[in-house]
Amino acid sequence: MGLTAILVALIVLTIVLAAVLLVRPSITAGATGKALAFVALCVLPALCIAGGLSTHMQRSEQTKFCISCHAMENYGKSLWLDDPSYIPAQHFQNHRVLADMACFSCHADYTIYGPLKDKYQGVRRIYEQYLGTPSKTIHIRGGYKNGQCLHCHAGARGFEENPIHMALMDSLKSNEMSCISSGCHDMVHNASEVDHLKMWSPGQ
Amino acid sequence: MKIGTLGMERVLRIASALIVVGLIIEIISLAWFHPLAFALFAFVGIIVIGLGILIYLASLILVVSPPGEHRAE
Repeated sequence: MGLTAILVALIVLTIVLAAVLLVRPSITAGATGKALAFVALCVLPALCIAGGLSTHMQRSEQTKFCISCHAMENYGKSLWLDDPSYIPAQHFQNHRVLADMACFSCHADYTIYGPLKDKYQGVRRIYEQYLGTPSKTIHIRGGYKNGQCLHCHAGARGFEENPIHMALMDSLKSNEMSCISSGCHDMVHNASEVDHLKMWSPGQ
Repeated sequence: MKIGTLGMERVLRIASALIVVGLIIEIISLAWFHPLAFALFAFVGIIVIGLGILIYLASLILVVSPPGEHRAE
């Protein structure tokens, strides 16, 4: 919130300076006016773009951002399912992932250009939702990659010493066998059924 | 193409207006917590602000000094 407040203050300052130039462009006749114009019409707007991009990128990693989209509502609800066999609910409720970054933790592309690819996919979904034909069920392009599980679980004792994982380790690391679609951890979001399932309420 | 002092003022007005509009769009996108706010900023706000900056920078290159104004050698 602090950084956003600073950014908003910077934007307001830039608007005021740009508005002065909009009303009285003649002040740029002098050297001071030229310097002011350079700051108000080049330096500060560029900073506002950079600050805005950074803020929006950080906000898009939050759970409430992802589930603010209507199509994602049931996926958000599935985090509160009262059944530990559901992988997202188990991770979210036990804080195995940061609760306010739950979606991002398991769906981020942990590669160099991952954040850009994620934003591209997000924008594609927005396009499909509002300007194209949204599909009834949401599919991850290329399927869910084991790398997203292994980003945290690889090297963890409980994972590495599990006899089933040990026997399948090469297949898991090469993505030959999926963690979630091979009958092992296949209870994922089940978004279409979520309204009929029991929910967990903290403190009850 | 070169622009004179009066033309320069007009160009500055256009650049300022675009930047003000773009920044207002940015403030709206920051106040709205929704994926569409991201799209609004990325595809409208940045383009409008960027266009304002580019017009201003182009005006620096294209401006011509009024007659009688000489630089000290």
